[in-house]
Amino acid sequence: MAFAIHVPRINNNDDEVKLAGLQIAVGSRVTKGQIVGQVETDKAVVDVEAGNDGFVLAILGEVDATVSVGSVLVWVGQTVDEAVPLPQGTPPGAVSTSSAPTAKAGALLAEHGLDAAQVPASGERLTVADVERFLATGGAASTPSRAAVPATASKVDSVPDVAGELKLLKSEEKGMLATVTWHRDVAVPGYVEVSYDPAPWDEYAQTFGQQHGLLLSPLLPLMAWRLVELAAESPRLNATIVGSKRYEYAEVNVGFTVQAGDVLYLAVVRNSAALGPLGFVTGLVDLQRRAAGHKLGPLETQGATIGFSSMARWKVSRHIPILPPHTAIMVAHAVAPDGSGVLGATYDHRVLNGSEAAATLRKLCKPPKAP
Amino acid sequence: MDPASLYGFGHFVRLTEQLILDLFGRGLLSGTTHTCLGQELCQMSVVRALTDPDDAVYSNHRNHGHFLTYTGNAVGLVAEIMGREAGVCGGFGGSQHMAHRHFHSNGVQAGMTAIASGVALDIKRRASRGVVAVMIGDGTLGEGLLYESMNLAAVWGAPVLFVVENNGIAQTTDTRDTVAGTIEGRGKAFGLRTWRFDDAATEFMHSVAAVVDEMRDGKGPGMLVIDTKRMGPHSKGDDLRDASERSAIVERDPLAALGRTLLAPQRAEIESRNVEFLKSIEAQALASPESRFDVVPTHSMRPALGPVVRAQAAVAANVRGALNMALRDLLAECPDVLLLGEDMHEPYGGAFKVTAGLSSEFAGRVISTPISEAGITGAGIGLAMAGRRPIVEIMFADFLTLCMDQIYNHAVKFPGMFSDCDVPLVIRTPCGGRRGYGPTHSQSPENLLVSVPGLTVVFGSHRHNVGQLLVDAVTRWPNPVVFLEHKLLYGEAQKPGDYEDVASDRRDQGAELFPTLRRGSRSADVTLVSFGGMLPFVERAAERLEREEELSVEIVAPCLLAPMPRHTLSALLLDRPRIAVIEESHHEFGVSAELVACLAEAGYRGKIIRIGTGPVPIASARSLERDQLPDEQAIVQRVLTLF
Repeated sequence: MAFAIHVPRINNNDDEVKLAGLQIAVGSRVTKGQIVGQVETDKAVVDVEAGNDGFVLAILGEVDATVSVGSVLVWVGQTVDEAVPLPQGTPPGAVSTSSAPTAKAGALLAEHGLDAAQVPASGERLTVADVERFLATGGAASTPSRAAVPATASKVDSVPDVAGELKLLKSEEKGMLATVTWHRDVAVPGYVEVSYDPAPWDEYAQTFGQQHGLLLSPLLPLMAWRLVELAAESPRLNATIVGSKRYEYAEVNVGFTVQAGDVLYLAVVRNSAALGPLGFVTGLVDLQRRAAGHKLGPLETQGATIGFSSMARWKVSRHIPILPPHTAIMVAHAVAPDGSGVLGATYDHRVLNGSEAAATLRKLCKPPKAP
Repeated sequence: MDPASLYGFGHFVRLTEQLILDLFGRGLLSGTTHTCLGQELCQMSVVRALTDPDDAVYSNHRNHGHFLTYTGNAVGLVAEIMGREAGVCGGFGGSQHMAHRHFHSNGVQAGMTAIASGVALDIKRRASRGVVAVMIGDGTLGEGLLYESMNLAAVWGAPVLFVVENNGIAQTTDTRDTVAGTIEGRGKAFGLRTWRFDDAATEFMHSVAAVVDEMRDGKGPGMLVIDTKRMGPHSKGDDLRDASERSAIVERDPLAALGRTLLAPQRAEIESRNVEFLKSIEAQALASPESRFDVVPTHSMRPALGPVVRAQAAVAANVRGALNMALRDLLAECPDVLLLGEDMHEPYGGAFKVTAGLSSEFAGRVISTPISEAGITGAGIGLAMAGRRPIVEIMFADFLTLCMDQIYNHAVKFPGMFSDCDVPLVIRTPCGGRRGYGPTHSQSPENLLVSVPGLTVVFGSHRHNVGQLLVDAVTRWPNPVVFLEHKLLYGEAQKPGDYEDVASDRRDQGAELFPTLRRGSRSADVTLVSFGGMLPFVERAAERLEREEELSVEIVAPCLLAPMPRHTLSALLLDRPRIAVIEESHHEFGVSAELVACLAEAGYRGKIIRIGTGPVPIASARSLERDQLPDEQAIVQRVLTLF
């Protein structure tokens, strides 16, 4: 057990004193009553005594430095290699200001119109390095607790001149707002569309379904899988812009829209390309089921690198989707009144041009060769 | 001393006074004036006996007779009151505030008495036979400073003659309502030799001359009471005494009585000569143009002088030691330096030990005074005017308020009013809190001091070369200075560290002698401006801001608070994005307020805050004091609001 020698008080008015002398070193043997050093104010010098026999484990001050009265000056242990007790500085149960940004980091966040809540911190405080890292990766790399969508600078709205009531948005509504704001403020969205004969795809899906004993039609998942393959082949499809550079993702994460009651989820299948068609289909089906039960995990609602959606059940003939943040293409499937298939795509013109988007759609119109 | 000469001069004084009132009646002079009609002989009596070149006169608002007797300069007097160029002070002082060689008058009752004691102390130390006559009235007997001055003169054995011109009335209030006890009793209480004469007595002039002569024997101060009567109003129309009293005064008139001792033709000749003489005086005064400034003065500082004492070391074990060494070198190398203050002598060596060892090493140069803050400040002014270099210690800066009239109405005004009157006085004083000394022993009165026009306020930090600042304030800056020393810095090591001098703008008075220091990047995120005892706290706050908030912090530490080096600081700070001005003093209407105003006028566009102490007394309990005075925690919190 270690004993502390505290900095003695010299007079009532001085809470700090100067360490004027030390007669011991770490490892020295001391005896009870031995004078180990001196502290001084401008009025007096006082000896510091050891209260116990033992060995000096640590000395928390240098000669000529100012030390606080009452603080531990020397740790004395019963053996020379005893552990030094931990610093007594941290109050128990201290709540860390979890990820409160440093002032400098805060200024940087404000400069970029970011919210601290969106930027992952690597330590107790959110630092400049954290913000710079976030900016460099376009907000893609993050810990699960962070929403990866940066809030863009809000345009100031005033309440319209008609009677009404302001209501707070729920978190998924906020998420949608952030998404569409990114689409408007950051991306340069363009739209192309092709119509196609749905018969080959329907047949392909049916065969696949029977082959693997699937209960539900795997048409849309298989179309999405086809998109995954195309994206894996063409890195430009699976990319976004950061600053003035193109950031080509290392993996294909498909964001697939799922309507669950009032909530529209973008369920994300991570690293789709590694799953293979069946793995992808079952994975996506599973994701859809859990989305319907509002049971998606944090990694499953963010990080999309390309998107796919279908409004077929709503019987609309055209659907121009909103780009999920940091994606370059979002494909929308619909069925025209006359039964023909419609594939549209919103694409980010900063990354792809119309002809690349159109080419993608044309390839997507046809199923792969027979399974 | 022959009656004809006495009458001739007294009559001349009377005619001059009548001319002054007449000119006022004709609208040719304005402002205020206080004539000595009826008191001519009284006013002549002491001054005409001051024949030693070291003799001095300190007079008051009713000073014309003293002035004329001392100088004979009637045109200078009349033109001065008329605000004309030919006036003895160029129109600056008017009737009450005049100066010529060793004659000075001012308009605050008793205000000159302590100054007189200081001048007389100098005379005594030089073993001169000079006498300092300080003229007061019965009305002055109500002022406390008079008693401090008498006590000081008596303790020092200084040759001050307190001349009480007792005309029985103070403005419009009779003496019986204002003076308890007796007049001479007051002098006797302080051990002053006292005399009392009636200026209507035939031997009056001789009696007074004998008193002045006796005062030259080196036996200390005296009080001379002269019973006299004021024939005119207090000022210009304020005479509410009843007719019978006034006619009795006219009947008694000693000047008329003196005239009657002359043969009628002789008297008539004297009078008509005086009348002609006054006509020429009137003509000369009227012919003198109205006073004008060539350039309107923006300050009354005398320029800096060259170095005379060895340079002081920038690094010292502690600030107290640096100051002690500076005082030691000043006493050793500058024979005019004199230290005055309470409890300065060995073995005590001053309340904060700054003067330790000095009284024994420099015998007679360190004077422990009575507890008379106003008195020793005035004495300091007198010593400075006499050509010495006095350093007055006021034990706690909180007590400077007791000195305020001597500083505000005397020390800083004289250089502005009187072109050959310098007041190279330094007042040193410990200030600041954080020792639990309570509301009247913990203050930082910078806010008061910097607002005194013409006062130089220097407040060094542990980063400044405090010894050099003191040496320069005493020997190179011949202006009144208050030199603040924070109590907590006395024990602090003095070292400049990585601070550098900021190049000073030539337009800033004194800025080169009392430099501003800075450290840190010139494109820092935030600039902290602070001074004195606050600097260690600011440095710790800066370290926390750098470490915890990743900010780069610049620190700017001036030591010259007034006159504020506005050009130097504006040029330095104008492009800084964020500034916090931090002081322990009350920040409202004080140093930081002035700096922010200067920056606003210079076009500052960034964000700026002040951190100081609110307008409440500082508590004694350490726990309360800690919350009231800014510390590093408070500084960090407030600075973060800039982001």
